[in-house]
Amino acid sequence: MTRGGIIRRVRTILAASASWLRTVGRRVLGRTRGDSSSGDLHTRVTFRACVDAVIPTTPELADELGPEHVPGGNDVGVAEFLARYVADRVQIGIPHTRHDVDVVKPIANVLDSAALKLISRGDNEDEPNEERPVAFFEGTDVPADRIRDVAGPFARLSPRDRLRAIHVLDEIEAQFTLPDGRFVEFDGGLVGQLVVGFPKLIYYGEWEGYPDPERMPFGQDHPNDPASVQGWRQSGFPGFTNGYACLRGYLGTEDGTLGSEDAWTTIDDRDGSSVSLFESPGRFRENDYDTDGYVEPYPEGGV
Amino acid sequence: MVDAEYDAVIVGAGGDGPVAAWKLAEAGLSVLLLEAGPFHGNEQWPDPHGDPGAEASSDVDDLSGELLDEQFTTREFEMVNRLFFGPADENRGIWARKFPGDGAILQCAGVGGTTLHYTGCHPRAYPAAIDEQGHWPIDYADLLPYYREVEELCDVQPAPVTAKEELFFRGAAAAGWEFIDEMNVTSPGYRPQPNAIRRPDRRLHVDGDYDGEFTYPDVTGHTLGLGEITGNPHPRGAPFEEKAKRASNVTFVPAAMRTGNVTVRPNAFAVDVTTETPLGDTPTATGVTFRDTWSGATTTVEAEVVVLAAGAIETPRLWLNADLPDEEWVGRGLTLHFGDNVMGLWDADDLEATLGKPTVDQHEGQNIAARFDYPGLGMLQTVGTTPGVGAILGFGASASGFAFQHDTEDAPWDTMGRLAGPELKRLLSDYRRMLPVLVVSDDRPLKRNGVTVQDGAEDEHGPIPLVNYTPSEADRKRRDELAEIAAEILREAGASHVHRSDSPPTALHLHSTMRMGKVVDEACEAYAVDRLFVADHSALANGVGGPNPTNTGQALAARTGEKIVDRYF
Repeated sequence: MTRGGIIRRVRTILAASASWLRTVGRRVLGRTRGDSSSGDLHTRVTFRACVDAVIPTTPELADELGPEHVPGGNDVGVAEFLARYVADRVQIGIPHTRHDVDVVKPIANVLDSAALKLISRGDNEDEPNEERPVAFFEGTDVPADRIRDVAGPFARLSPRDRLRAIHVLDEIEAQFTLPDGRFVEFDGGLVGQLVVGFPKLIYYGEWEGYPDPERMPFGQDHPNDPASVQGWRQSGFPGFTNGYACLRGYLGTEDGTLGSEDAWTTIDDRDGSSVSLFESPGRFRENDYDTDGYVEPYPEGGV
Repeated sequence: MVDAEYDAVIVGAGGDGPVAAWKLAEAGLSVLLLEAGPFHGNEQWPDPHGDPGAEASSDVDDLSGELLDEQFTTREFEMVNRLFFGPADENRGIWARKFPGDGAILQCAGVGGTTLHYTGCHPRAYPAAIDEQGHWPIDYADLLPYYREVEELCDVQPAPVTAKEELFFRGAAAAGWEFIDEMNVTSPGYRPQPNAIRRPDRRLHVDGDYDGEFTYPDVTGHTLGLGEITGNPHPRGAPFEEKAKRASNVTFVPAAMRTGNVTVRPNAFAVDVTTETPLGDTPTATGVTFRDTWSGATTTVEAEVVVLAAGAIETPRLWLNADLPDEEWVGRGLTLHFGDNVMGLWDADDLEATLGKPTVDQHEGQNIAARFDYPGLGMLQTVGTTPGVGAILGFGASASGFAFQHDTEDAPWDTMGRLAGPELKRLLSDYRRMLPVLVVSDDRPLKRNGVTVQDGAEDEHGPIPLVNYTPSEADRKRRDELAEIAAEILREAGASHVHRSDSPPTALHLHSTMRMGKVVDEACEAYAVDRLFVADHSALANGVGGPNPTNTGQALAARTGEKIVDRYF
């Protein structure tokens, strides 16, 4: 490509990005005014779509790993708790307005924007399908027609295309100063952190075991039964404990200061100086040091 | 009760502020120690997240191991939310900070600060990072007496080995790396973590057939069931100062309070540093204004000296929000040990052959007990986590998208990126056969990285910290080489699958935003404001080479405490 061609290409990309940022901004700010007629179910569908992509129901794992590995996050209500959690605990780049702004609906709308962006780029690998969101609600009494009506483009994507759409958001960072002087920032990567990272912490943490999992855990007892949490049943985590008798010893050598008393097993016996696990820790050596031979492996351009 | 004036007001009772408080109080000075978060394990606040409780605590007898047991449940989801940087009131959300990309700042609020969830790791800086990299105006040797003092008070000792550490050490040895037994590390190799955690009872050996309780007084010291990241109340039943992890709340805080000269004031968010400029040139700090996080009431106290110890984010934020001189390097030069996660997964038969059992069991032992040092690059450390924290740290974020988007045919790892879907569930089903390794690089202080504030982006304490961080090309190379070494060690230990996160910048360790030699002098007093000192990780001149920074931050704070006494009292 010629230099002029490269510049034209960069300009095109910048113009497209600016348009995209304006769209995101309108959606973030528009939703802060609560202008959604069907917002709650749309939000719920979208959050279920995220959880379905991250921790899905997996019948295909039944033969491979066992039937306990089939249920996913939506079978235990992770999406609904995640939405409540985000609403209660997190403010996303909209400081000073926390009690005025529902950040959950904007997240759902931004995910739809990301889906549209993915589709407009032609980067989706599967065709959107309006039946997909219906499957997220299997076992619930939410009418399928209602789900089809409100489901946005994000929820209609295939699971991997939903993840691709979330990755599109990783590229986005935008800042706005409102007419009243308030500074508003939108960081798309944070959306990914919330809808990909947090469901994992909730699902594989102890959350499901609380007597009232719809509330934050504060003040609630927990049975600490390995069977009480689906994520524990699937990971093999045995629950929290006061301790284990699992000490193997302390790393050291026969002729050094680290490691003392009897050796339990040998770690390395190269060069005749065997590194072993000993009964007692010994102590680190307060050595003289000489840094004259220090070589910078990757020098910085400057400080 | 909080008085109207003190010899010293210290802003921040985290890892370092209590060290300075202890030094000043030992010298006979009156000290007010302010803390934005709650005070756990103190009888003045029996319900620290539900009720405002008392105003302040000055009596070491207020400290209660029983309350700490009750408040630190060790349940990961609950405790992450309890300790995360935010107000004590559990009905309110976290305090906003802007951080780039999909990374995060992992800091705690509360007396003890981020040492409440640190893993007790207390290595010293690499000597070359102090003496050879050109950032520090003092020598490594200047820190040595303070390291020794901190290490003694925190019971720093070689960490115990359980299955996960044995596996790592075997891999490191098989990869040809040398064993290190030194405190002052100048060459690459592997060694046990120098941890500020009391050694476990020797009866907890795998061959010991121990079938008793894991509570005090049946056992003393660490009980080998993780717990550091979630506060660590172990051994349960122990008095406050007998808890195994020597976080600053169980070491320096009681040591400071025992002098009778220290008042700890939690739930107090500093919003201003007051000054006078009697001679019309350099201002002099005269006090601090703080806001009660429950009531919103503000109070100003006067002091002979003011010490900022609110951490590498909030200390520069307070400076920038206060009416203090514009200084070029305030908030600049942030290092955060630009990190990554590399995880190994083993087949049961291979583990049986190596360890004598079919699982790694990362939920056993201390969270972080084995390390690999490489001065000039940084370090590696094994990380045992409970599954929720492990899933979000290891597989929840990536700078390069999802694993299925990468071709890793020629890479040292089998998969790279965020994990989701059936692949995530399949991997987590092997939780007990995996070992995560944290990559911690020696990133360097660059002026473009740091903390700024902007009008309009505010919370109840003024403009929030806007953190920017972009690693240099050399930072990336250091991290990449460490990630490759980690993968090789895991392979040599027999891992059948290696995964790399390619993590976005995430702030576990934060330093060098008020650097010695740039913002503060060799005694850590601000060049631009008399009687204003910095005693936290922000005064570090760089990232100390990559080792966990708590020991160095505390050693420097101890030194600063002595310098304050020498200079003004």
